Amino acid sequence: MTEQEYQPHAEEERREFAAESESLWRLTLAPVTWALHLVLCYATVSLACARQLFPVDTARIWLIGATVLALALIGWQGWRALQQWNVRNTGALSHPEGKAEDRHQFLGHATFLIALISAIGTVFTSLPLLLLEGCR
Amino acid sequence: MILRRTTPPRRPEPQGTYPPTEAMLDEPVPEDLRKAQAGRLRAAWKAPEGWRYWSAVNNTEIGKWYSLTAFFFMLCAGVLALIIRLQLAVPESGLVSSDRFSQLFSMHGSAMMFLFAVPMFEAISILMLPGFLGSRDMPFPRLSAFGYWCFLIGGVFVLGSVLFDAAPRAGWFMYPPLATEDEGPGSDIWLLGLSFIEIASIAAAVELIVGVLKCRAPGMRVNLMPLYAWYVLVVGGMILFAFPPLIAGDFLFELERSFDWPFFDPERGGDPMLWQHLFWIFGHPEVYIIFLPSIAIAAMIVPTVAQRPIVGYSWIVLSAVGTGFLSFGLWVHHMYTTGLPGLSLGFFSAASEAVVIPTGVQLFAFLATLVAGRIRMILPMLWIAGALAIFTMGGLTGIMLALAPFDFQVHDTYFVVAHLHYTLFGGMVFPVIAGVYYFYPFIAKKMLSERLGRWAFWLIFTGFNVTFLPMHYTGLIGMPRRVFTYREGLGWEIPNLISSVGAFVIAAGFVVFVWDLIRPKGDQPRISRNPWKAGTLEWAHDVPEESWGIRSIPHVTTRYPLWDDPKLLDRVDAGRFYLPDAQEGHRETLVTSVIDAEPILIQRVNTPTWITHLAAIFTGGAFIFPTFHLYTPGIVSGLLAVASIIWWLWTSTARPPEADSKDAGLGLRLPTYVSGPDSTGWWAVWITMLGDATAFASIVFGYFFYWTAQPDFPPPGARHAGAGAVALACAGFVAGWVFTVAARRLNRAGRIGAARGALALAPLSTAGGIAALIVAVLPLEPATHVYPALIWALAVWIAVHAAVGIVMQLYCLAGSFLGKLTPRYDADIWNVSLFWHFFVLSALVACALVGPVARLL
Repeated sequence: MTEQEYQPHAEEERREFAAESESLWRLTLAPVTWALHLVLCYATVSLACARQLFPVDTARIWLIGATVLALALIGWQGWRALQQWNVRNTGALSHPEGKAEDRHQFLGHATFLIALISAIGTVFTSLPLLLLEGCR
Repeated sequence: MILRRTTPPRRPEPQGTYPPTEAMLDEPVPEDLRKAQAGRLRAAWKAPEGWRYWSAVNNTEIGKWYSLTAFFFMLCAGVLALIIRLQLAVPESGLVSSDRFSQLFSMHGSAMMFLFAVPMFEAISILMLPGFLGSRDMPFPRLSAFGYWCFLIGGVFVLGSVLFDAAPRAGWFMYPPLATEDEGPGSDIWLLGLSFIEIASIAAAVELIVGVLKCRAPGMRVNLMPLYAWYVLVVGGMILFAFPPLIAGDFLFELERSFDWPFFDPERGGDPMLWQHLFWIFGHPEVYIIFLPSIAIAAMIVPTVAQRPIVGYSWIVLSAVGTGFLSFGLWVHHMYTTGLPGLSLGFFSAASEAVVIPTGVQLFAFLATLVAGRIRMILPMLWIAGALAIFTMGGLTGIMLALAPFDFQVHDTYFVVAHLHYTLFGGMVFPVIAGVYYFYPFIAKKMLSERLGRWAFWLIFTGFNVTFLPMHYTGLIGMPRRVFTYREGLGWEIPNLISSVGAFVIAAGFVVFVWDLIRPKGDQPRISRNPWKAGTLEWAHDVPEESWGIRSIPHVTTRYPLWDDPKLLDRVDAGRFYLPDAQEGHRETLVTSVIDAEPILIQRVNTPTWITHLAAIFTGGAFIFPTFHLYTPGIVSGLLAVASIIWWLWTSTARPPEADSKDAGLGLRLPTYVSGPDSTGWWAVWITMLGDATAFASIVFGYFFYWTAQPDFPPPGARHAGAGAVALACAGFVAGWVFTVAARRLNRAGRIGAARGALALAPLSTAGGIAALIVAVLPLEPATHVYPALIWALAVWIAVHAAVGIVMQLYCLAGSFLGKLTPRYDADIWNVSLFWHFFVLSALVACALVGPVARLL
């Protein structure tokens, strides 16, 4: 393929796949949700067990609620990313070309995968909430 | 002096054709023009000669020194390990004393982690990254140089202490109260020496992140970046969030050591657990900070071996980003036996298991690439194969250790020692050596010996397993780590002896490797330019060596330009691409946009200098003198360091250029000066401040940690900081911020006089804020209890930052009067305002914690 074919008209591309300078941040939204969820779990259990501000069983119920919320957020991110990846229409699993369209789909693809691992991480983190009791 | 209002000047935009057309690229460059351009470029980038060689700042020089220094420290730390193994070879050995043994293992761990593993990543990245990205140099060469000299001074100081029987001896993680109560300078040497090196690491992180985001070859969109660049980006980000908690921990620790402020002393309300948290919030991500860039080397080698593009590029990006994040959720697995609630342990145990998924994904992507390709078995691949085998073993024992009940049994035994060496050798040492073999032709324009390389591999691989495999068993039968000797009859004799023999086999392997590195290679025939037939840009290097980095900066449209574009090399060499010339004799590189790498600026890159050495020496003094309680020389040294850094910035950064824009080649005209988010400097400040904010957040974490874990924080009836004075301090800092931001706007609008007025008022109000803050906390006695100590620590943190803020405001004021800062050339005030945005936020948080929140708790 020649250089010419790689580079469609810049104006056309710009309209369709605007430069997305925020998309590197979007890449991190799902794992940031996971991180906040972990910190929330850890802090809440500490406040219940060390500071005894509220009973730990109440904390567990709140945190399970927070987990559902976190998973919903991550799922929403993943859904948006899946749209952006657009794999069902293009079938593109690899995005190796220097076109804005490839970059656009690649960022969707990567964000989707990262949302997936964040969801798995969040489920893992919340398993102790379901399986363990008390402050022991 | 002109004080009237001037119209805001028009800022130049990139002009001309981009991307270049095939017809433009086909146009030949006349032979004589080509020669003249190459001559000028060569002259501009010529490395200094004779003793001036050491003033070089080019990434190739700094990168070589950096990696050799880190490697030398590694060999020293290896020798310490050999003495450890000699001592443990037989029971009740008297080779070294208990005290000396403690120094040996503390120093072995600290040096391997802080003087080898992390700096080696920075060194390799500084050396290689411009090659990968098709850039001429890193964006801030003098910052790399400063970081290197800091590292050298700090490293020699810390490692040298072992020769004077004064080395730290409380283990590489320095747990209080052992470390805080320890007499002698050992703990201070560890703290101050390593804080100094951490600063060098953060400098490197700034350099590398900005390099990846802003200095890629035109057209290298984020989906085309070499995978190494993705890893560097992730690791740079991790450094910003991992190192600052340790810096904050060091800050508290040193305040306790020097002034007896009881942060970790339970008798006065402190808590040693805070150190453990801060250390491991740093310490666990650090393991991945070491691992990811090393595995990134594998991501560069594997496609070459398979002679095909990597399989699952997006998956590897997932893997890097996912591992980077999840690695921050593991820290408590180092603290399973500290009595935390079972639920809390569960969260971290789960996260420790989850991190296996992204870590495994990249290994499978490598295997898939190998399966799908036609493998050409080259020597570096042997080392990668060894790395994968050993790392997988370490990973499997890691899964075991992540289970809290199993960890209870083997905590602090040799099982842990075996596990961590498997992960670090497999995850770092082997891939890095693979990288040395693979990139040696790029670095030194020579080849290493295939035969010696195989010898070194089999010696180190065998020796490694002989040393560390038995340690799993030694640990399981109960031998604790860090004991300097053991009694006969416990069944520990044979496995220890085997381990000791193995250690010397590893050493023999390293001797072969070192010999291969340093043996004279003058008679070797000239190597081919791309000896491994790789596809990435670094192999467009020049043989024999040229110090310009790349002859002209190519326009890139694929992930493996050398494979996909057969005309690329000729065009690079002909100077057909961007910046083929150095007409004014300046060093320059292209700055491109973050996502799509569209050219936006021609960046002047700095030249050899001695100011970085001076700055590093004085910074070193500021850290080293206090170790021996020599505070006056320490303060003088610190002031001189500040002066040298100001001199350096003033004389060589953000100077107004001769022309507003210039020709970049291929019919493209680019600006030569930008300010704000387009500029590299603004990003550097942003990134630095993110790290700084993390350190501050760690101290805030400490505040709430004490409140949660201690019944008397603040103690009943405690004296609080004066409410009125805190409110005044808050007002002073906010006013300082308002004036700074106003000055930026006024200056850009051309109202220079008003801008100067604002810049004069800003330091005054900030100074007022500092004074009020000191008045507020002065009645509190920090040595009596952790509450007043922490209030003081917050105040010290804010006051020091405010002082830096004042220096910045005065710098801009001076710049405005002396023509460095004008409505058109205003990068300095943009960067200073950015600092102030961060500072005013932390000042508000601190004032709230010191004033109202403390009264509410």
